Amino acid sequence: MARLPMALLRGLLRFLSSVRVGIALLVLLFIYMSVGSAGIVYPVHPNLFHPDAWVHAQLRQWRLFEMTEFEWFHWWPFDLLIGLIAATMIVTTVRRIPFRPVNYGVWTIHAGILVLILGSVIYFEQKVEGDAPVARRKVVVRVDGVVEPVELLASAGSRAVVGTGGNRREIEVVEVDPNWEIRTTTEAGRVAYSVTVSVTGASGRFMRQLIAGHPEFTEDLLITNDPKQPVKRAIKERGTAIVDATVSMALEYESQSYLYLRNDLAKAWAIYVRPVGSGEWTMRRADGIPLYNDRISSSADVFGSDESHAAMDPMAVRVPAAPEGDPFPDVELSIEGYLRYAETRSRLVAGGSSAPLNPTVEVRVASPDGAQAEYRLVASDPERATADGGLIRMVNLASEDGLKSLTREATVRIAIPGALVDVTEPVRGHTGEGEAPFATIGDPELGYSYRVLAAQDNLPVGSRTASVLIVDLKTPTRTIRRWVFDDPSLTRDIPEGADAHAMPGPPDESVVMEYFPGGGRSLVTVVTGPSPERLRIVSAIGDGEAMVHEAAVRTPIEIGAGLRATIVSYEPRAVIETRPIIVAPEERIRDAREMFAQVLVAAPGGDRRWVEFSLYAVDNARFALPRHPFHPARLKLADGREMEVLFSRERLPLKTEAALEDFVLTTHDGGYTGEQGSIRNYTSMIRFRDTPTASWTAPVAVSVNDPVEHNGYWYFQAQWDPPEGPSARSQRGSPGLNYTVLGVGNREGVWIQLSGCVIAVLGMAYAFYVKPVIIRRRMGQARGAPA
Amino acid sequence: MMRRILAIVALVAMGFAQPSTFEHQVDLSPLAGVAVQTDGRIKSFGSFARGELGFISGPRSIAGQSPEFTYFDIAFRPDAYADADIIFVKGGAVRAPIAQALLAADPSLEARMSSFMKTGLISEALLARSEATDIMATLAADLLRTAKPMDAVRSARALMRPETLLSRLRVVPPARSDAQGRWSSIADIMLLAADPSALRVAQHTATALPGIDEATQLACARSWRNMVEGWTNGDAARVNEAIVAFAACLRAMNPADYPDGDRLSWESWYFANGNLVWIWIVYAFSVVLLLLSISYRWRWAKVGGFALFAIAFLLQTAALGLRWWIADRWPNSNMFEAVTTAAWMGACAAIPMEFALRRRAASGLIALASAVASAVALMAAHFLPVQLNAQISNMMPVLHDVWLYIHTNVIIFSYCLIFMAAVSALGYLVHRAAGGEAAFARAGGAEVSLEAAPLRGRRRAEVLDGVTMQLMKLSFILLWTGIAMGAIWADHSWGRPWGWDPKEVFALNTFVVFALLVHVRYRVKDKGLWTAVLAVVGAAVMLFNWIVINFVITGLHSYA
Repeated sequence: MARLPMALLRGLLRFLSSVRVGIALLVLLFIYMSVGSAGIVYPVHPNLFHPDAWVHAQLRQWRLFEMTEFEWFHWWPFDLLIGLIAATMIVTTVRRIPFRPVNYGVWTIHAGILVLILGSVIYFEQKVEGDAPVARRKVVVRVDGVVEPVELLASAGSRAVVGTGGNRREIEVVEVDPNWEIRTTTEAGRVAYSVTVSVTGASGRFMRQLIAGHPEFTEDLLITNDPKQPVKRAIKERGTAIVDATVSMALEYESQSYLYLRNDLAKAWAIYVRPVGSGEWTMRRADGIPLYNDRISSSADVFGSDESHAAMDPMAVRVPAAPEGDPFPDVELSIEGYLRYAETRSRLVAGGSSAPLNPTVEVRVASPDGAQAEYRLVASDPERATADGGLIRMVNLASEDGLKSLTREATVRIAIPGALVDVTEPVRGHTGEGEAPFATIGDPELGYSYRVLAAQDNLPVGSRTASVLIVDLKTPTRTIRRWVFDDPSLTRDIPEGADAHAMPGPPDESVVMEYFPGGGRSLVTVVTGPSPERLRIVSAIGDGEAMVHEAAVRTPIEIGAGLRATIVSYEPRAVIETRPIIVAPEERIRDAREMFAQVLVAAPGGDRRWVEFSLYAVDNARFALPRHPFHPARLKLADGREMEVLFSRERLPLKTEAALEDFVLTTHDGGYTGEQGSIRNYTSMIRFRDTPTASWTAPVAVSVNDPVEHNGYWYFQAQWDPPEGPSARSQRGSPGLNYTVLGVGNREGVWIQLSGCVIAVLGMAYAFYVKPVIIRRRMGQARGAPA
Repeated sequence: MMRRILAIVALVAMGFAQPSTFEHQVDLSPLAGVAVQTDGRIKSFGSFARGELGFISGPRSIAGQSPEFTYFDIAFRPDAYADADIIFVKGGAVRAPIAQALLAADPSLEARMSSFMKTGLISEALLARSEATDIMATLAADLLRTAKPMDAVRSARALMRPETLLSRLRVVPPARSDAQGRWSSIADIMLLAADPSALRVAQHTATALPGIDEATQLACARSWRNMVEGWTNGDAARVNEAIVAFAACLRAMNPADYPDGDRLSWESWYFANGNLVWIWIVYAFSVVLLLLSISYRWRWAKVGGFALFAIAFLLQTAALGLRWWIADRWPNSNMFEAVTTAAWMGACAAIPMEFALRRRAASGLIALASAVASAVALMAAHFLPVQLNAQISNMMPVLHDVWLYIHTNVIIFSYCLIFMAAVSALGYLVHRAAGGEAAFARAGGAEVSLEAAPLRGRRRAEVLDGVTMQLMKLSFILLWTGIAMGAIWADHSWGRPWGWDPKEVFALNTFVVFALLVHVRYRVKDKGLWTAVLAVVGAAVMLFNWIVINFVITGLHSYA
């Protein structure tokens, strides 16, 4: 019986010592690497010479494989191939290549490659690679009487509310300047990091400027009505640097303690959970979620598109509770869908007879020259009840009385208490184009006049609506631009000559104005109610009185000036449906990677909803970096509890805290011009702290090609915060340099890899250049030897 | 008879007469030493204008004019270019739908559209037609296929607006000399005047730049305005006078720190002479002569071939040295530089090898292989100016590392040797196809090439195989070393020595092919044939890596 294993062993050794087997393995390795890296091309047209006959595809990204490059090159067939090549090299070298000077070269080459393979096994088995964003500072705000301080990222636009009632303060970071030049003391001329925070409380609004590293320079800025200097230093105006000592603020490092694994190297999806409102996220690994291919189980999961049919491929990835510290140890989530690149859309659909009343219409307005526009209006939604700047709107009447107010004329009440003037006039004279003449108020000798610039009715303001009339008001001494609201407490004045950013102040009390919007300024009002099926159109086109037309779906109505309005559809009980729509490949931003991914998360017996990808699991939106998506979502569980979930990547503790002291952009000749070519290098000045009680290390420079090692990880300069001009996100733009993203990784075994390479090179040099000399010398000796 | 003679004389005279057009009367040579700051670099005006017009007209020249002339002409006489076909549209996938849309609306455009399909050049006026803007909006929305060329068209249209051309002309040097000093645009000072009311420009609010002598700024502005007025009036004499004054006063603004005029002039010259890639012709002639000498053993062909090879090498060395000087860095950081420098390195290696083999059978073969490699590389640079863009730009930060010079040069040198090995391997295959014997280099492989023997019959096959092996061995070691050096760089640059990036994988694949070659050569009987076949396959994989991986499958190495 013992013969069989021996025979097998001998056969195996024979097999592994065959050069042909070695060659075959190298051919297989070549094919495997080529297919995994470059992909494949295959014909899709019978005429192989047709320009579109051949298609290129990345095989490893197909549904069957779903592998990144790293995963393809760590799959078992590759490991097997490398293992067989190593075994063949060992067996062949030992059995077939005598260890003689002439063969030292090949022995060394094979030894070098084996050492390299060994080093690579160690390296890739332990490889950790990810990224860690580090912002410059956070603002810590404390208000007297409020126990918990509030922290927010020092990034323009970050907002928070501290305290309640009379202690309530609205805090907003309004400006961050990484290159603020200090102008006083011995520090004059030095550049520092400055953060300006707006504080709005019951007693008004002021701004506070904080300078990193210089708490002694903290000072308040007052907002004035002086157009030449809209912001003044409190120290000059009031003789004190701090106007509200009950609010204290400090800049602190916004350190990072985690690295997030790179998803494009190997899939590292994770679902983070926490009870709603609790700060700490608990990470749950979510192995099995794909990366490249969309997966849905039902066409109802998404809004239909060309891509949704191809995405039909049910999945169910279990996401059990984390082994430790999970706030929902009994709740196993399930991932039932994945979209690589999708956008969330909301649509109104018919809700059926049991749905609550929510009238919506689609209305088309056509002009005699054939031009037409379509509007979708929702009566209950302040943002969607009007369109085209308020020219068209929708109103749902609770009672028939409401119709009268719709046809009423808008008026403005003007009172000059000092001159006993109190008149109410219809609002006229504003056309939206050009400037109307001033109309006198009361006796012309008083010197008061006004003109209407614009009226905006039913503007959404917070959770309600307000109407405003914008007028220029001349008093005997000055001209004021006044925003006259239907709610007098909102009325404000903007002094003449002030720029667009000037803060409006309380109105000049010598002239009181009040706006009564009346029927509103809309030219066309679609009216529903009081009964759900009743439809009317109120037209205010032309000089005459507003006309009320009974309407029906798909019946055009002449509404004046040759215009025809048609109600295309009407749904009294519409419901909003929110679902993702898969973005067509040609509309996707290249290199967007997983930024627009979504997963369908289901709680057993509870909610099932799509959750958009978040790049980092930060505590809350106040700490989300610009350009980095953060989309937590809430799930209702079967037992009524609520869970907050986040779809992101796995993170690992850094074993230290990393803080960004400064970010330095080095440039070529001419400084930074906004052109990529003007940048020479990026440098993050990083401080580390291994325990919360330890002190921070001195700043170390992490720049491109120059990483820094700390506590087992290497830190690389990876991304930066570029300056940007005004945009939809930030009207003022941003000077940038406010955060860095560090690449973080380990590198176990690289020295073994390098040794292998060096040994192999030495072997090659010997085999190619020493061995021939030995052979020739031997041949020469053989020729010279006596017969 | 006399009339006929007079007619011929008149025709000849017309042919020789200097053209009297404005373009030929204007002398822009004083601007050769003028510096422009763009994209983080200081360029000569000539190279700047060439680069900017490259964004508008791609590789095409406009009406045979110099880029400097065209730059000013578009800026000063924009109406003349509104309906001129000067905007380059890259790729048939974009040209065809635009041409179809325009033709459908206006069939009289057939000739222009046919030319557009060939050259890719179209006019602003045609692109502004609604039928073109509609289709372009659709094309721009396809981010996968056509957005990139449409982006280039949008940039070209924006760039050819006079205000853009003027604001990009940052010719006013900074007052201070450190690298952060900002250069200002001519648009910032051109409206400066001692008496602004005389300018007839409504609401101009130009103020002198701080730190620079105001009188010099005024003089510059005045000479610039003189040039513009002369230009728009077709007054070449006034333009020429103004140009001299303008160039002088720019330098006078900060004479101590103004960039070296010689270097700027040479930069203009280098680009005006097609980056000197026409040297491929000299290499091509040396290839012909060396082939004749190897095939027929004609001594005159051998001498001539070597002489031409040496001349070509010297010219290429001069071109490379010049580029090194004007770019202020070793030329190996973009595709143009990698390809041309690799070829030059091959020639550098070929010369000592040929010297060592001067009385051996293999004499001439390595020079031939190198000449073919250089001719092909320079031809590629000459005929593919879009793919191998010769513009000198700043290196991205990641390339600023000593390993750029070590790793990249070792790798591109090995690539050139691989190509040269493929040339001798092809020679072997041709020899076999022509009925040559199945011989190969014995006794230690390549050393046969070192033996003195006539190159004919069986020896020819042996020597060709020997030369292939000689080059293969060197490239085998260099490729392995280069890959390892790249890993060392990647380790501290990207955080991992090996990332399975396509470029890395195919460099390793090239090595695997040569590992196969070594083992197959050991195993098979027809060693010469298999060596030649695998050497050609290895070169094909190398070229695939350089061309397809770079341009089609992007990865971390997309800049190289």
